[in-house]
Amino acid sequence: MTPLPPAGPLPPAGPLPPAGPLPPADASWHRLHPLSPLVRAGRHLVTIGTLVLVLFFANRKGTGSDLVVNLVLVALVLAGGVVSWLVTRWQVADGVLRIETGLVRRQSLRFPLSQVQAIDVVQTGLARVLGLGELRLRMAGADSSGGRLASLPLAEAERLRQHLLSMARAPGSLATRAAVATAPGIPGTGGEPADGREARDSREPGRLLFRVRSRRLAAAIALSRTGVIAVAGIAAMVAVAMLNRQPGVFASLLPLAVGVVLAVWRQFNSDYGATVVVAADGLRLRSGLVQMTAETIRPGRVQAVRLVEPLAWRALGWCRLEVDVAGPRQRRENRSESRRLRALIPVGSRADAEQMISELLTTRPAPSRLAPRSARWKAPLTYHFLAWGSDDRYVVASRGRVCRKTTWVPLEKVQSVRWVQGPLQRRLGLASVRLDVAGRRVTASIQDRGTAEAGEILRRLPGLASDARTRHQAA
Amino acid sequence: MTRSERPGDTTPAPGAPLADPGAPARPDGTPPDGTPPDGTPPDGTPPDGTSAGWQRPSPLLLRARRIQAGLVTGPVALLGGLLAGVAASPAAGLGTGLGLVAAGVVAERFLARRVAAWGYAERNDDLMVRRGVMIRRESVIPYGRMQFIDVTAGPVERSLGLATLRMHTAAAASDARIPGLERAEAGKLRDNLAALGEAQATGL
Repeated sequence: MTPLPPAGPLPPAGPLPPAGPLPPADASWHRLHPLSPLVRAGRHLVTIGTLVLVLFFANRKGTGSDLVVNLVLVALVLAGGVVSWLVTRWQVADGVLRIETGLVRRQSLRFPLSQVQAIDVVQTGLARVLGLGELRLRMAGADSSGGRLASLPLAEAERLRQHLLSMARAPGSLATRAAVATAPGIPGTGGEPADGREARDSREPGRLLFRVRSRRLAAAIALSRTGVIAVAGIAAMVAVAMLNRQPGVFASLLPLAVGVVLAVWRQFNSDYGATVVVAADGLRLRSGLVQMTAETIRPGRVQAVRLVEPLAWRALGWCRLEVDVAGPRQRRENRSESRRLRALIPVGSRADAEQMISELLTTRPAPSRLAPRSARWKAPLTYHFLAWGSDDRYVVASRGRVCRKTTWVPLEKVQSVRWVQGPLQRRLGLASVRLDVAGRRVTASIQDRGTAEAGEILRRLPGLASDARTRHQAA
Repeated sequence: MTRSERPGDTTPAPGAPLADPGAPARPDGTPPDGTPPDGTPPDGTPPDGTSAGWQRPSPLLLRARRIQAGLVTGPVALLGGLLAGVAASPAAGLGTGLGLVAAGVVAERFLARRVAAWGYAERNDDLMVRRGVMIRRESVIPYGRMQFIDVTAGPVERSLGLATLRMHTAAAASDARIPGLERAEAGKLRDNLAALGEAQATGL
């Protein structure tokens, strides 16, 4: 890691050295770090390296030409990265981040900082080795890709993130920040790789709310669906290979095994060392073993809170707590991730979850209204956990038998209410009411209620939601 | 449509909690034959209190749907018949073609009910849209939540002077569209909704 000047002009009253150049408030144009093409090509390098190895071992005949082809590919990727680095520059001026990029199709992107939902710093494995980080801006739009600055020196990325966040906030909140900055630092820092970065990143230390236990995380992943599928798949492959006793069969199954192991690894990597810290600018999350992700959820941006309790975890008293935040998740390297919610607690005890929920929600209605008996005919399994509840701020609905999911939705975030009745439900005198929040990930479904009750919900919920919105705006 | 024609707001007194904590936890009152105590029609129409205010799409929508069904059935039957005729025997081809036409005719029987199921109601704070025969749906979209509204018209709809109005919220799941509006009415409704949406707009 290259030595960098101790940074952090914000806040001046913090326990940090106020040295270091102010991040670009001077409206000049800046470049990305010269090593960023290498980081960009990093993933391709790994893929191509694996490919070369596989080809080398699989057929030794055509190795020469294959190697040349691969080297040409690597060179092309690198050259593309260098060109893209050459033509990319960025600037912060008048509360707007501007990025200019593109050689053939020139793009000039403007990101008004007042509309930023969150700013993340992401580090891939190679970037960590080189001490670089990628800055990602998340805007509110459903499909806009958001801004990416890849890559900057890590310290500069963190400083820029602080700076941009402070520009995104109302100016009056600086006092709060200073007050928080004098609060005691994060306790329990140990030998984990996250900690060195934590100290540098969190200029205003907050209150540590949660830290995942690595051993429990490993056990939980082994007990999760991914883990069970992985174990079963590998066992089946070994069995097939043993029965056939032909190396060819094993070789053909190898890619499958690699894929399964990668899926498990990806989960472990993304959830490893997950911490949640409460600070003035919201909840700070960071996690990752090789690829580090740091993210701040600003207050009032949580669209839904979901408690997930798979069957095997329930027996051990474990659960997972996820939140949905408006705006797209943009992890290009991991598409399946974007379908999932952001896990505040990848795996934790019920007590952890209770504490986190009380931090996220002001009141906490329990799903106490169970489904009518006739729902048993329609949902014999899930009937057990079908329930909902509400107060004047939140609606909560739970469902699922193998994997119990309890979803809290703030009434002021409800976008639309839908009443649905299928043929079987009609025969049984049931109906469901669904509450949609922004995005495409969460719908709280009040499943299988009696028709009268569902009608009552549909009649009264829009009014309650509108009251909640009015209250929310007044506050 | 003018404001005064809008059905009354059915919102109850504000602040009343939805779930009455004193009520029994497991309501058993709903008999399985689907006759709830409050006099809801047994066919399961939700008691929305706006039954008087439902607006319907134009009667021409049924014709549009029939033309669309015919436009699909004809080529599909022809192609299916030809394929079966080439693959097997001419008799099989004729049978397949006629079978596909028959399926189209049967589907046409259901069109009338599906078209009749569409309805919308403009209320004080939100728009209600209902649809569906087999799976009934009823959506409530607050005006303040509408992100944008678009009016589209396919070739068949355009030839009959119809248009489809579609409302978008920030949630991808809230699916609210009203097909088969007369074009002028669709434009008027769009402007009306846009104005209401602007007046009541709230942040995410």
